[in-house]
Amino acid sequence: MDYTFQWGVAFKYLPDLLGGAWVTFHLTFIGFWIGLAAAVFLAVGQTYGGRGLRRAISAYVVFFTNTPSLVTAFFIFYGLPEVGILWSPYVCILVNLILNAAAFLTDVIRGGVASVRIAEMEAAETLGFSMLQKIRYVIVPHIAKVLYAPISNLYIVFILGSALAAIFGVEELTGTAFNIASDTFRTIEIYTLAAGIYVAMTIIASTILALAGRWAFRVKARIF
Amino acid sequence: MFQHALAQIDLFFTWQNGILWLRAMVTTLSMAALGCGLGFALACVLVYLRSWPSIALLPVRILLIAYVEIFRRIPFLVLIFLVLFGTRALGLRMPLFWIACITVTVMATAFIAEIVRAGYESVHRTQWESATVMNFGRLRTVLFVVLPQAWTVIIPPAFSYFVMFIKETSLASQVGVYELMQTGKYFNNVGISPFLAFGTCLLIYFALSYPLTRLGWHIERRLKHRFRRIAGPVLPSASVTASL
Repeated sequence: MDYTFQWGVAFKYLPDLLGGAWVTFHLTFIGFWIGLAAAVFLAVGQTYGGRGLRRAISAYVVFFTNTPSLVTAFFIFYGLPEVGILWSPYVCILVNLILNAAAFLTDVIRGGVASVRIAEMEAAETLGFSMLQKIRYVIVPHIAKVLYAPISNLYIVFILGSALAAIFGVEELTGTAFNIASDTFRTIEIYTLAAGIYVAMTIIASTILALAGRWAFRVKARIF
Repeated sequence: MFQHALAQIDLFFTWQNGILWLRAMVTTLSMAALGCGLGFALACVLVYLRSWPSIALLPVRILLIAYVEIFRRIPFLVLIFLVLFGTRALGLRMPLFWIACITVTVMATAFIAEIVRAGYESVHRTQWESATVMNFGRLRTVLFVVLPQAWTVIIPPAFSYFVMFIKETSLASQVGVYELMQTGKYFNNVGISPFLAFGTCLLIYFALSYPLTRLGWHIERRLKHRFRRIAGPVLPSASVTASL
């Protein structure tokens, strides 16, 4: 082995990498919340909507869950300028993330909506609940408990998936690592450091999500 | 607007290009299949070692848990660069295809180990105990008592990870493996409209992934049907939760 590690060089760039981690964080945070909001509407549409709407939503979900997000990102990044839409790389990646997140989350949420038992809905009906009350007091508490763990899991997956933004020149964690590595040639050290930051980031995110879930929905979510 | 794409249709859909796409498809599939197959085998060994309740093996257990926790939390793109430069630094000049395979294996081992462990835990403790009473050794307990009951829990999510890795390997194009994504980029670079190049790429990925996803659902239903032990509320299907 004729490679000498120079960790000092890598650690000199730690602030830059942490700056990249901040971009990763807000990219995924914005994308996740918009995606989640869209997914709630799509899941409700898929459960209670008409036939055409249901078909359209399933087609969307099936398409995005079965294609790699890298390819849809390439499609958006290189395809849209062809029809005259010019977005910055950050916006392209964000849109791609939202489209993917909404599809995956719709799939998960629909499973949760389906898990509300008919007896529960009938009981609510008997008590004279309005639709809004049914959603507020029956459906949401029920599905929040079932879905909290898979959804918080998905958030971690989106953090990892956002690494592909580096390919399109967004300076998030991986993108910053790319640039520093090609400046300094200390590839192994820089990427190890970036990987370590990803591990730390996702562990912090899981911990916060698990604690929040325990506090808000009494979910026994696992951190590890 | 789309004239550019339409004008190139004759140029693009030739049988030579078809062969190029087909070879890329084989590369993509074999990366995922080799990586996941190896990963599955390694995960079984890993969980077997981890379930060994001896104090002497405590450091091994801690190492294995750390392995699983760390490699589930590193993005594929970062990991593939680490494997690429790591093997180069060790002086191994491997083809890029094998670099991608190793990366998939490392990741799949961590992911599937979690599933296998969940499978172990789904088998009731009394089963382990009665096997011990029958004087079964550790290996025989796992092989003849635990795994036959656990595989209905293991197979569906493991299969959906395989489908996930088919999509994930598109990132291997970034180190230059000639698979589907790279082929799409090649066509885009030689001047084919991105709608055609990446659109074809999208459709092929879909054609690979969707039937396999359906097959996964089918397997899951079959297994549930055969072993009706899961009662209670209908949870989101195992493959959906596993693909997270």
